[in-house]
Amino acid sequence: MSDEESWRRFEAVALPHLDAAYNLARWLTRNDHDAEDVVQESLVRAMRYLGGFRGEGARPWLLQIVRNTCWTWLKANRPAANVGIDDGDGPAHEIAAPAADEPPQVAMRRADRALIDQAIAALPAAFREVLVLRELEDLSYAEIARIAEIPIGTVMSRLARARAQLRSALAPAAARPVLRPVPKVAQNGGPP
Amino acid sequence: MSTVDPALLHAFVDGELDLKSQLEMEQRLAGDPALRQRVEEIRLLRHEIREHAGYHAAPETLRTRVAALRSAAGDAPPSAAPSGVPTPTAASKAGRTIAWGRWLQWRPLAVGLGAAAVVALALQLAGPPPSRDEAIAAEVVASHVRSTLGQHLVDVASSDHHTVKPFLSSKLGFSPPVAALPLEGSALLGGRVDYLDGRPVAALVYRQGQHVVDAFVWPDGGSDRAPVFGAARGYRTAHWTQAGMTHWVISDLNEAEFQALVRVMQRVDRQGG
Repeated sequence: MSDEESWRRFEAVALPHLDAAYNLARWLTRNDHDAEDVVQESLVRAMRYLGGFRGEGARPWLLQIVRNTCWTWLKANRPAANVGIDDGDGPAHEIAAPAADEPPQVAMRRADRALIDQAIAALPAAFREVLVLRELEDLSYAEIARIAEIPIGTVMSRLARARAQLRSALAPAAARPVLRPVPKVAQNGGPP
Repeated sequence: MSTVDPALLHAFVDGELDLKSQLEMEQRLAGDPALRQRVEEIRLLRHEIREHAGYHAAPETLRTRVAALRSAAGDAPPSAAPSGVPTPTAASKAGRTIAWGRWLQWRPLAVGLGAAAVVALALQLAGPPPSRDEAIAAEVVASHVRSTLGQHLVDVASSDHHTVKPFLSSKLGFSPPVAALPLEGSALLGGRVDYLDGRPVAALVYRQGQHVVDAFVWPDGGSDRAPVFGAARGYRTAHWTQAGMTHWVISDLNEAEFQALVRVMQRVDRQGG
């Protein structure tokens, strides 16, 4: 029962999900430095709660701790983020211009990525967390409900609303490839 | 188009409806092209987000801080903490919430709880001795955690099985089956030599979406055994014997994806063998 053993259990339970923990904290705080602080504090809490962990679903268990630590942090440091109004980060980020030697497809992917990241970052935090847990962590509605401490019905409606907002935010870009050339019926002078 | 609660439509796309609602929705979709169009749009959006949204993996600086937690958890002297970790004084001066300082306050409590957890664990372990499979499962989990936690995922990084297979064969006394998997979102990352069940084994490393999959393989004289699925510490495991090789696969994929992966691995192995 040395510290070494308790560390090893902690290492086996919590640390495999460090990326997931950081990803959630980074999306909720929208800042590298704050995300690191929140994750570190979450891990300290996780060590305290380790005795109560039953050995099932380590990732949702850790994410719930990270999520609660994030919200405590947001309430203390970003009170505006809690009223569901986007507090933004100032003007929208510029999308990096493609480098000259970049293949067009790579440049396109980078542009897509920047647009989508920007749209997700602009979602109210309560929607953002549900979306990130679903799309980036691939968790079930039931797991998300447990982590965010909301009913499954709320998970459903928040996810639907988050996606609807993303859809309208991305609409101009999404419409681009769908545009079809207008049939040139008049050019030959004949009937269509 | 009939009115449908958008939340239900999204849940349908996510495969989260109960069977009855799922069937009802399929029936409505069959007779409603506009509704089908909406479902397609949701699918497309979902695909775009999953494909393009940034995933923030833990940076090196955070891993360093986690390592510092370990020094704090043990009885290592404070000087063992890597430089760059702020002291509590500096932290409060900076006016930031630095968890490091809190950790020092919580440390006696955390160590006590940790000790209690270990006692609980020891009591569980006092039961019957673990079977051979359980012992291997524990080693598989430990190896997977070590490799994904550290930077040592692979000894040879290549998505080409013609590179990975000879490398592993040259390091091991056997030639493991190596193949790319015909699964959406799957990529072979490479292979490494690992040590399980008292012998060197081949570890093939795949990425499936955001998840890392380790597939351990070693020769086993026994007859074929169908896959046995298990779960340990939040991971799913499966092991089987096929064509004289024992396979152990581990990942944190969800159940359906993990079972699909195992089926594809078996099929590829049969075709390749």
